[in-house]
This record gives sequence, structure tokens and C-alpha cells, in this order.
Amino acid sequence: MIWLEGVSYLRAGSPALEDVTLGVSCGELVVVQGPTGSGKSSLLAVAAGARAPDAGAVWIAEHNIAGLQASSLPYVRRNIGYLPPEPLLIPDETVLENIMLALAVRGEPIDTAEADARETLAMVADSAWEGRLAQSLSTGQQRLVALARALVGPPPLVVVDEPASGMGGDDREGIARALVWARDRGCAVLCATSDPSFAQILEDAGGKRIHLEGGRLAGGPAIGLVPTPVGLAGEGASEDAESDEGIRLSDRRSSSEESS
Amino acid sequence: MTVAWILRRARRPSASQRRVLLAAAGSFLVLGLVGGATVLGLRATRGWIGTVGQRVHVIAFLQDEMEPGQATQLTDLLRRRPGVAHVRLVEPSEALARLRDAARPSPAKGSWLDDLDPGYFPRSIEVALAPSTDLPQRAAELSGRLRGLAGVAEVDAMTSGVARLAAWVRFGQRVGWAVVLAASIVALSFLVGTLVRGRESRRRQAQVLLTLGETAGNIRLPANIALAAAGLAGALAALVVLHFAWPALLAAVEGTLGIAPTPGGFFLGCWESTVGLSAAPMLGWVLGYLSTPVSGWVDA
Repeated sequence: MIWLEGVSYLRAGSPALEDVTLGVSCGELVVVQGPTGSGKSSLLAVAAGARAPDAGAVWIAEHNIAGLQASSLPYVRRNIGYLPPEPLLIPDETVLENIMLALAVRGEPIDTAEADARETLAMVADSAWEGRLAQSLSTGQQRLVALARALVGPPPLVVVDEPASGMGGDDREGIARALVWARDRGCAVLCATSDPSFAQILEDAGGKRIHLEGGRLAGGPAIGLVPTPVGLAGEGASEDAESDEGIRLSDRRSSSEESS
Repeated sequence: MTVAWILRRARRPSASQRRVLLAAAGSFLVLGLVGGATVLGLRATRGWIGTVGQRVHVIAFLQDEMEPGQATQLTDLLRRRPGVAHVRLVEPSEALARLRDAARPSPAKGSWLDDLDPGYFPRSIEVALAPSTDLPQRAAELSGRLRGLAGVAEVDAMTSGVARLAAWVRFGQRVGWAVVLAASIVALSFLVGTLVRGRESRRRQAQVLLTLGETAGNIRLPANIALAAAGLAGALAALVVLHFAWPALLAAVEGTLGIAPTPGGFFLGCWESTVGLSAAPMLGWVLGYLSTPVSGWVDA
């Protein structure tokens, strides 16, 4: 599904990531654990197509997005459920509208989007919040809403940065369940956390844990999931990877159905 | 994002965006009023000069010795002169009748006017020049030529009144232009200021949509549509206000200045209205585009 190959990224002139190679397949959950400042957020931002790497390649469904023009990037991003470190919500719109935005961008019909958004909100947070303005929520609640928006659909690739930051026990388990739910529906899930106990919860649920320190993966440059980008086509990329609208990723539902 | 989603987002602006749109519509209303009033005002002042100009005559009083045939010949010659609107030969009997008409409200003067004989009045030729901004100069030039003619006893150019009026109208137009310019600057500054204040909120919204994978064009589209609609609404409101308020305002100004009511010219024409109703949404669209900052990479 996603393959980062020899990725390096400079943050304010100093290296945040150095020669990182990492892959996540469809139906797989990979947890990147590392202390603050280890480069987790940079890694996830590059994987989500939010930032351009300074070196290396980011293959998503056979397309190296590092080489794409800026005008093509939206067609990649809309197939990635990305939770950035700061929950990016539109403050004066309701919780439901914020979640529905992800489906609006993908062109889902409005009524379907509304139903999906309600379902995901109920799974990740509290359905009673749906009519509240995002700005009226606490930071933790905003994170949960942003996570619901990243999972709604769900998209083929889910990239979540510190989803359980500042959360209590019940919320952490709920978040872990939601990530496992996405994985079980065929999504490739890449999660970063600095919290070893949360990483353990995900590992116990079948996730693969890797460590990132000083911008490098501990224990080797790569996770040996998929050896080359070519192999990604068999894993998740559909045959209609490119359409007239632009680049589309694999259909995680059909992938999930095939695997089951 | 599909058309249905874009229209939904354009129709359902957030509270802060609603304030921006209301302020934008208000600014467009002011701009529309200023623009429309300028067009109508210029038309009215041109009408005033024209109306007054048509009433002002160069009057040539003829000597008694001039034969009626010669007077008629002179009248015909003047009629063929370029820039002359119309020429009229006034006989002594008509001049006396006019004087009596003018004196009628004052009964005291009636008795001695009754004793007057038309023979006391000279025959005269009244010349009306075609209205133009240099009417006083042209009237003075014609007066000079008439004074040099044999059989002409006296010439009254009557230019000072017109010159004064023309000067006042020119002054009024200058003041009007200054007001128009000031109002336009204030309205545009308010509009731009409102959009600049809301820029941070729109930048954040654009950042969210960019992260979700929306294209730059679609991110801008709801704001473009909403501001174009605000422009159209403001321009339409201005048109309605001018339609109902302008005739009353014009009548009040003309009444104050003692000018005869302007015939027609109360309303903007089809072409003028179309230009206004097209320009305002286009300006709104452009402002919507400029006020939504979008970049390619999320943190670029």
C-alpha cells in the first residue's frame, strides 16, 4: 500500500529523517514508537503526502508521490485518512460537518456521507457531539473528532499521529479498537506514538511495532514487508489506479472482501 | 468535491463567514449606490445645463428705422448660423403683452400698463443657442457680431447668469466626484478589510481541506460563489434603492435650486444596469479567489 524508500527530511535545516525505508500493506497496522523529537511526525507527514521529502521516494499504489506535481497531490491525499499532530478542524463548523468533509472531498453522496460520518463518530467518540461546533470541544475531544474524520469511509491508507495523546484509559482502548477496525476492513494503518503502553495495546491487537530514534529506524533501515514498489500492485493497488479524475488508490472494501 | 457539495458549502456558510458575506453585500450596496448615483447625477446636471441653456437668449433690439422685411431677413440669416437652436422675431405688440403678463400679479401696476402703446417698444430678435459648456463665450461672440450690424440698436447677451450657473454646476460636479471617490474608497477599504480580517480563518479552512485532498480550485470555489452572490445581491439592492429613492432626491435638489424638473433620466438604463449587475459578481468572484490562500504542499 505504502512504501517509503530511503526517505530523508530536513526540518529547519537539520535532519528529521535519515534514510528511512518502511512499508505498510493493506490490512496491516504498523506502530512507529519513539520519543518526542525522534521524527515520527515528520515521517507520518511525508507518508500522508502533506510534506515533500528532501530525498527518497514515497510510493503509494505504484505512484511515487514525491515526484508528483502539486496539482496531482490532492488526488492522492483524499485517499489517505491523516490525523496530524494538531487536530486540524474548522472551528466554526459542527463536528458532523467536519467529519463529512473527508467524504465530501472524495465525492460521496451527501446522504451517504452523513450516515457514514454519524456511524464513525459513534464508534470513535460520542454521537451526541455531532451538532456542536468544533471550537466548543476540548483539545482531547477535537483529537477524537479528527481521528473520526481520518477513519470515516474508511480510506485505503490511514496515517495517525499520536491519536491517544492526552487520553484516558477508556478513550485509548476505544482508539485502539477503531484503528484495528480500520485494519480489519483492509486499510493500511500507520500510527505514531510516544506512549509505550499505547504501542503495546496496538501490538497486542496484532500491530507491528517499530522504533524510531533520531530520525532513523532502530534495528535496520527497513521493515521487510514488501521488498519493492512493484509488489504493491499485488497487495492493494487496483487496476484502475489512474482514472480520468486523477490517481485513485485501491478499493479497501474489495480488498478486504477478497482477503476474507 | 462534487457540485452538490460545493453548492451546499456555499449555501451554508459558518457564522463568521456569514458576517463577512453580509459586510461584503453591504459594501457592494454602497458601491452600487455610489456608481448608480454618479451616472444619474451626471445625467441630471447635464440636463440642468441644457435646460437653462435653452432658455437663455441673446436679444437684439432693432432700431425703429429697420423695415419688417429686413428684420425677417436678419432672423433667417441668424437661424442658418451654426450653433443656433432657434431664432424668434418679437414684435412690439408681443413685447407689451409679455410685460402685461409679467405684471399681472401686481394689480397696482396694471393701471399705467393699460395706457402703454406698443409703439414704445422696439422690435427684437431672440436667439437661443444650442446648449454646450462654452455657451457664455458663444453668446458673447454672437452679441459682438450683432452689435456691429446696421439697424441693431442694442444687444443683451444675458451671459452672466448662465456663466454663474455653469460655474456652480462645475463646482457641484467636482464636489460630487470627490464624494464619489471618497465613498468608493471607504466602501472598498471596508470590503477588503473585512476579507483580510477573515483571511486567517479561511487559511485554516483551506489548510484543512488541502490536508483532506481537496483541489485548490474547489477550495476557493465556495468563497468565489458566495462573494459573487454577495456582489449580485448588493448591486440588486442598490438598483432597487436608486429606483425608488432617486426621483424623490432629484426633485428635492431641483426644488432647492429652483430648477425646473428634469424630464426623464430618473432610472438607470438597461445597459447601465446590466454592466453594474455583471461587474459586481465578477468583482466578488475575484475577491473570493484572492482572499483564500491555498498552497500545494500542506506546510509549504
